[in-house]
Amino acid sequence: MIKHKQKRKNAIKNLNDKRVINIALAGNANVGKSVIFNQLTGLSQTIGNWPGKTVELKEGHLDFLGYRFDIVDLPGIYSLSTYSLEEILSREYIVSDKVDVIINVIDATNLERNLFFTFQLLELKVPIILAINQMDILRKRNMELDFKKLEEYFKLPVIPVVAIRGIGVHQLVEEAIELYVYNRPHFHYIEGGKKLHENLTHHHYHNHHRHHFKNSKNEKEKTLKGKENFLFPDLSSILSYGKEVETKIKYLEKEIENSKDVPFNCNYPERFLAIKLLENDGEIIKLFNTSQRSKSVIKLAEKFRTELENYHGEEITTITSSEIYNNIRQIIEKVIISKPSGKRKTNFAAILDNLTTHSFWGYLILILVLIGAYLFTFLIGGFLGGLIENAFDIWSEKVFSIYGTDNFLISVFWYGAMGGFFGALGGVLVYVIPFFLIIEILQDSGYLPRAAFLMDRFMHSLGVHGKTIIPMILGFGCNVPACTGCRIMETEREKKISIALTSLVPCAAVMVVVLGLVGRYLGIGWVIILFGINFIVIIFVGKVLNKIMPGECTELIMEMHEFRVPNYSVIIKQTWVRSKEFIYKSMPIIIVIGIILELLLIFRVLDPINEIFAPVTVIWLGLPVITGIFLVYGILRKELTLILLEVLASSMSIPLLELLNPIQMIVFCAVTMLYIPCFVTIVIIARETNWKYALQISILEIGLALLIGGIINWSFVLFSNL
Amino acid sequence: MVLINRFLTDCSTGEQLTVIKVAAGIRAKTRLANLGIVPGVTIIKRRAAPFRGPIEIIVKGTVLVIGRGLASKIIVNHKA
Repeated sequence: MIKHKQKRKNAIKNLNDKRVINIALAGNANVGKSVIFNQLTGLSQTIGNWPGKTVELKEGHLDFLGYRFDIVDLPGIYSLSTYSLEEILSREYIVSDKVDVIINVIDATNLERNLFFTFQLLELKVPIILAINQMDILRKRNMELDFKKLEEYFKLPVIPVVAIRGIGVHQLVEEAIELYVYNRPHFHYIEGGKKLHENLTHHHYHNHHRHHFKNSKNEKEKTLKGKENFLFPDLSSILSYGKEVETKIKYLEKEIENSKDVPFNCNYPERFLAIKLLENDGEIIKLFNTSQRSKSVIKLAEKFRTELENYHGEEITTITSSEIYNNIRQIIEKVIISKPSGKRKTNFAAILDNLTTHSFWGYLILILVLIGAYLFTFLIGGFLGGLIENAFDIWSEKVFSIYGTDNFLISVFWYGAMGGFFGALGGVLVYVIPFFLIIEILQDSGYLPRAAFLMDRFMHSLGVHGKTIIPMILGFGCNVPACTGCRIMETEREKKISIALTSLVPCAAVMVVVLGLVGRYLGIGWVIILFGINFIVIIFVGKVLNKIMPGECTELIMEMHEFRVPNYSVIIKQTWVRSKEFIYKSMPIIIVIGIILELLLIFRVLDPINEIFAPVTVIWLGLPVITGIFLVYGILRKELTLILLEVLASSMSIPLLELLNPIQMIVFCAVTMLYIPCFVTIVIIARETNWKYALQISILEIGLALLIGGIINWSFVLFSNL
Repeated sequence: MVLINRFLTDCSTGEQLTVIKVAAGIRAKTRLANLGIVPGVTIIKRRAAPFRGPIEIIVKGTVLVIGRGLASKIIVNHKA
């Protein structure tokens, strides 16, 4: 919230230089919203969170035609009900004064489903631009849209777009200026509508409007509240729920109007409130549950609902949804022009679809995709990491040949700060970037829902439905965004179980440790065994949570999109944005800790801490005493355990294998793998659920790690005694 | 031809079906209604996931995956 207020303040302050238009992109999932977002915002985008919420918020900006556009990419949703937090947040955001213009992105090839969302959006009576995307694909299917008719129906700007080629994208922004400045929609196809605007050029926006605004203070204030002044067209001809329902909506609307003495802190239009009250929408009912007067409105809505449900013999949401779909059907019949079509050939996407959901090939592909993602990550990461490591060694020699080996400051700076920096660069970042790249490709190509389809049955035995596999796959990259990704789960119970399972997935950092120690010194066989143990632990935890958590597993409802060739520009930008977050947030911590550790090592401060942990680390786990503090640091970032081992080995000038023997390496890796989610993940879990749950997970995982680590250690001890 | 109401899970793949009733909880029912699965609508059962997994259907030109438990509460009929 604060961030937005600040933004708003800055916007007012800068008004003389540049006017800010706040745009939100809204629409179903997978309609090209993020492609348009990328086209508009380029590399200016950041991925954050909704204030106080765990839903991802993508923001970016664009400077164009003398305006600054602050653009938000809303989550892809199908409705504005209360099915998920995303839907609630989106509708609250859309009516708030944080946004001036909504661009509703619509997939032309899937008008029926997409327009359902549009119809809900229209009830919010905000300035909307309809961006009809994928026009190229529609035309390839020998179909065309009648844009004049569409404009006649919706009385709002309707713009054809081919997002991946950037066609029509900047026109959307021009249209946003139009809506913002004139406070009314501007027509392209309807006669007469064009005249008003047809002489306007880019030059016009740039100069005329700027001049126009500078001279009038009132205008300025007016445009800041532009949405309130927006002349929303009368769409009653298409937004009708049929006679019976409409009568009741009208009646409720009046009642709501009459109870307006109650201070309402919401921006929803009365009609929207009436519809939602009728639909028994929990969030809206909460708004009305304040005074006796407004409570009577709820009562009335209840009465109407019962009447309608009895009359139609259906639940109210079924009635309203059917009505909306009927209206859509009628529009579509008028606006879609089908030309005699050629044959639809079985294309590559369809073959891929069959293979990836096949009862044998599907699972094989799933396994291959995971292994492939790992191999890709580690071949690239390992190669680049090796280069960086060599460079660091060569530079180290040079530095110490100049300054000598016992210079205190140089030692702190070089081994601490630079060692940390290069360790993070060569040991972590080179793995993280390729993994983000792979994840983005998997996400953009549409593969992940197939994995959910295949794994649904199996995941049910762990108490969640198949969608959990998506955050879990993401978890291989980094548990932090993956745990946030668990928001796709619809109920609290499933979210909690998903988070617990995802936090146990070995992330890139764990992978670095396991491959950097066990993989490097003991071979791939032990790596596989360790991952096998991890997998069993995940199943065990899932089964246990499924037993002890109250409630039942909900069912999967998910749209399955066609496969498509990933858009490389979106992928590269997304990878960069995610990596950027990682660099800015993690690198400084790693460098600072590197310095602190180097100081601690020099002044031998670590010894008492290690002594405290000694009973566990030395006796139970059989590890060297120094590893106690490493495991503590590992809570901050798990790869630190490996980096610190390397720093220690290099400062003692011995190879790692002398620091840890093979058994110790295996135990150390097993413990690092399982013992606790990293600090940031714990914070995220706490924010997603609560601190109690975050601590419960942490304690559970520490317990499991110590148990398994100890078992491995002692079975080795006993085995070698034989 | 006699039309017999059946559960979506019991139909074979490739069949064109008309939704008769969704006998699920209010939450799932609302969700399905928003996605266009209301009585009277035509759907096609596209495939079922291996090992008694979820059901894939085509509705309103898009592909939806529905968990088996929920699919077994959707009552359908052969398209008349």
